Amino acid sequence: MASKLSHSIGTHTRLWYLIDARHQVVGRLASMVALLLQGKNKPIYHPSVDTGDHVVVINTGHAVLTGSKWDKKLYRHHTGYPGGLKEIVAKQLHQKNPTMILRRAINGMLPKNLQRKHRMRRLHLYPDSAHSHALNITHQLPGPCPVFKTLSDYSSEEITSFPDIVTRISHL
Amino acid sequence: VPRVKAGTTRRARHKAVLATTKGHRAARSSRYRVAKESMLHALDYATRHRKLKKRQNRALAITRINAAAREHGLSYSSLINGLKKAEITLDRKSLADLSIRQPSAFAKVVASAKAEL
Repeated sequence: MASKLSHSIGTHTRLWYLIDARHQVVGRLASMVALLLQGKNKPIYHPSVDTGDHVVVINTGHAVLTGSKWDKKLYRHHTGYPGGLKEIVAKQLHQKNPTMILRRAINGMLPKNLQRKHRMRRLHLYPDSAHSHALNITHQLPGPCPVFKTLSDYSSEEITSFPDIVTRISHL
Repeated sequence: VPRVKAGTTRRARHKAVLATTKGHRAARSSRYRVAKESMLHALDYATRHRKLKKRQNRALAITRINAAAREHGLSYSSLINGLKKAEITLDRKSLADLSIRQPSAFAKVVASAKAEL
């Protein structure tokens, strides 16, 4: 039962994941990142040992909130003074600091214990694609939401050779 | 009732309690009156946590099996469903242990479960 034969040097190392947040819904991405930070994707997971990995999220400035949340979702905190409830709409918070929305989402999805601070330190958020961890990254993961191609992602040959559905249907 | 002195019995009773509180902090392992409360709490916790330990170990095994199954593209619930259909009666403790120490064997178990799904 105590055999460690299947363990390699990579079993207990802290990996570095890179995730592109462009076109990813904030909540769904945060949920996935929180699992990676806790290490719950590893069979060696144990709550008393921090088995989490580093996660680098780039393009957080281009993350997505669905519905009218950019205008309606409120981030609140109280300063401690009477009448000191501060409210800020998601749009304004995003303009102030494009990483805050994702940071608050992930912070809220981690278990509220003493390990949360250490796990958040292993989270590295960048508003654009520039990041300083290129030498450390071990894996790049796709986000949880499928990224669809826009018209500009297709080459002109693909556009011209696409079957002509519209005019055919109008014939019927 | 004629007068009965405590004699040596009190010391014996106190020593028995203090023997159970070895390792408790500060006065809780040396003074009888504090040690008695400490002992009562400790016995209560021991009883409660003997049952809790079984629950926590099972929950940990399930978390680990979930993680390992998702490495093979299955969720924990689908894996258990497939194992029931394949009539594999490995318990969660063994499955979790296999997933850590014998991952190739665990892969075969997952394959048998997938075949039934």
